[in-house]
Amino acid sequence: MSIPSRVTGTSVHTRVIGDLQRNLAHGQKLTSQISSGKQLSRPSDSPTGTVTSMQLRGEVRATQQHSRNANDGLGWLGTIQDKLGDASTSVIRVRDLTLQAMNQSNTDQSREAIAVEIDNIKATLIGEANSKFMGRPVFGGTTPGGEAYDTTGKYVGNDGQTTRTVGPNAKVRIETTGPEAFGAENSPSQLFTVLTELSQNMRDNDMDKLGTGLQNLDKAHDLLKATLSDVGARYNRVTQMKQSAEDHLLSVSSQLSDIEDVDLPKAIMELQIQQTSYQAALAATAKVIQPSLIDFLR
Amino acid sequence: MGSTFGGINTALTSLYAQRRGLDVTGENIANANTEGFTRQKVRMQAQAGGVHPGIYSTTDQVGAGVAVSGVERSRNEYLEERGRAEHASSAYLSTQKGSYDLIESVLAEPSDTALQARLHDMWDGWNDVANNWQDPSTRSALLERSRTVAITLNDTYASLSGQFTANRNQLDAYVDQVNTLATSIADMNQQIVVAQSAGLEANELRDQRDVKVMELAELTGASAQSKKSGAVNVYIGNGALVNDFSARTVRLAGPATLDSLTPANHVALKWNDTDTAAAAGGTMGAMLDTMNTIIPDVTAKLDDVASKLAATVNTALAGGVDENGDPVTGGYDLNGDPGTAMFAGATAKTIEVIIDDPDKVAFSKGFPKDPDNAIAALDNGVADALADVGIAGTGPDQAYQAMIGQLGVAAQSAARRSEIQDSVTDQVDTSRDAESGVNLDEEMTNLLTYQRGYEAASRVLTTIDSMLDQLINRTGLVGR
Repeated sequence: MSIPSRVTGTSVHTRVIGDLQRNLAHGQKLTSQISSGKQLSRPSDSPTGTVTSMQLRGEVRATQQHSRNANDGLGWLGTIQDKLGDASTSVIRVRDLTLQAMNQSNTDQSREAIAVEIDNIKATLIGEANSKFMGRPVFGGTTPGGEAYDTTGKYVGNDGQTTRTVGPNAKVRIETTGPEAFGAENSPSQLFTVLTELSQNMRDNDMDKLGTGLQNLDKAHDLLKATLSDVGARYNRVTQMKQSAEDHLLSVSSQLSDIEDVDLPKAIMELQIQQTSYQAALAATAKVIQPSLIDFLR
Repeated sequence: MGSTFGGINTALTSLYAQRRGLDVTGENIANANTEGFTRQKVRMQAQAGGVHPGIYSTTDQVGAGVAVSGVERSRNEYLEERGRAEHASSAYLSTQKGSYDLIESVLAEPSDTALQARLHDMWDGWNDVANNWQDPSTRSALLERSRTVAITLNDTYASLSGQFTANRNQLDAYVDQVNTLATSIADMNQQIVVAQSAGLEANELRDQRDVKVMELAELTGASAQSKKSGAVNVYIGNGALVNDFSARTVRLAGPATLDSLTPANHVALKWNDTDTAAAAGGTMGAMLDTMNTIIPDVTAKLDDVASKLAATVNTALAGGVDENGDPVTGGYDLNGDPGTAMFAGATAKTIEVIIDDPDKVAFSKGFPKDPDNAIAALDNGVADALADVGIAGTGPDQAYQAMIGQLGVAAQSAARRSEIQDSVTDQVDTSRDAESGVNLDEEMTNLLTYQRGYEAASRVLTTIDSMLDQLINRTGLVGR
């Protein structure tokens, strides 16, 4: 800053007003940062910071989305797990009943009673295979209809898959189609076919076919158990992804805060310093502006 | 040998000169705070005695007193020119900074309520539909959020268009001001030239004229050239606005609204007589740049965001061609009807949502009415794909973020340049003021000097008077 060779009242005045204005403007900026809590209030404050902050906000939203999807997926998978567990228990009961029926000392009436119970269990299982979560049949794939199996045990759904995005590039399948859990259609070890045949064979008192039926029942049960453990594994995976999404959310939120929010102690300190310097400037101005030769002449 | 009364005349000239000095000092003090006032100095010149040799001319080789040769105006032309240039730059940059401030306020990023947040809300809406399309409320919410995005784009465009119109109206007022100033400068030119050629001082008029030329410089970036006759020619760019005693006029030409602005049809300042463009700087130049370049740039980028948004969503819903040129099949809605486009209009001004019925939202990739039971499907394929767009690398969000980044850079650089220019202008103003401002201490000292000079001159007069009195009244009086 060059000091001119001649100083006039107006030039001192202009200079001093300009400097005080700059001081005040700086103070005003600090005050608005403190009162809003944000050091980034418009793109020109920091262009790169603004773009980063917008991207981080996008990531916060995406992570929240993943968390919501994970919750939804857990609902689906939980329902499937419960139903498959119940089905497994029922199949064990059917096995006991079949063994009981294969006992030679049964009469026609007792075999009839066992067959009736197996029919009831089959009806219950078909009902469970048609259970719904949020209005959708969980074993039906992506069928537009509302049922996975009809009353005779025939599969009326399709084999479309439904997934949920629970992490970046991580889509997890949240359902199981009927054939995957209960056996492929038209296969001898399809659970409902096996049950139908078992109750029929019991009424016919055909021991050989009961034996084959028992083997098919075991195959169906193995498939059921395998599917159950697969669903369980997926459930665990989704729980893990949900936890990791929540952790990620914390870290991204804290990054966002670093960029956007003001460091309050630092800003308050700066405001104090600026106020002190402003007062000093005012005092100096008062001293310089007032006196002139007029005071000293007679 | 000088005349008897020559000394009296010398003292008298001194009295006149010191009085003149006192008057000028009084004038300076009275105008110490007047804007644009230049301090005036008295130029005194010692009068020479007779310097031409001749047979009958005699001289006692003593000068003949003092005369005021002129009242000078202490103004440095070079500093004035620099001052005008710096003031014009300062006005240009601060107006540009103001325009950017307004645009940033309209866009209001980064925040939880502006367009970026609304876009995120919309993509979240698609995610909710993907999770639970059975519930019609998710689809209604999606339509509502999409409408909000479209309306936000419309409103932003409307605000920018309003800024354009406000600028234009302000420019109209400025154009009137420029024409008035030009006429009055031409009038003052005439008065000053006439006064100067008659040998009269016109310092106050010159000061007023300089104030007006500075105003013109700030408004239009005008430059000035003084001539020996005392007139000042004012130029806007290369064209003369004021030439000696005559002034030309300018007018504003071009579209009145942002919508009618095209690359061939810009808003411009034109000379009325030749209909050519005047290259304006200063405040008006900055406003013209805002209207012709800055605002259209921002709206073009906003249009890009709108068209990308419409294309992405419409292609996913109703089928079409994606950005690589590959064909994309559309989706199906709840009832199995093929999907229809969600957005109509591909610019920020015209984009709107044209689906009213939540059941018409085509979220499914599979066709539910296929006669083959194994193929008929009602899934969330389209909704899932759209929910991923928000975090992908090439969607409308990215275009919008890039636009905000560029705007931030431009606004920051304008603000910095304006700050720097302001301090340069302050320095130049200080130098100008050092040259031509009134310093009261100096005036006080001058007052003392002239007062003592006057007293001393009157003392000389008294002394000569008493000497002459002695000579005239007392000489030859013998014995009385």
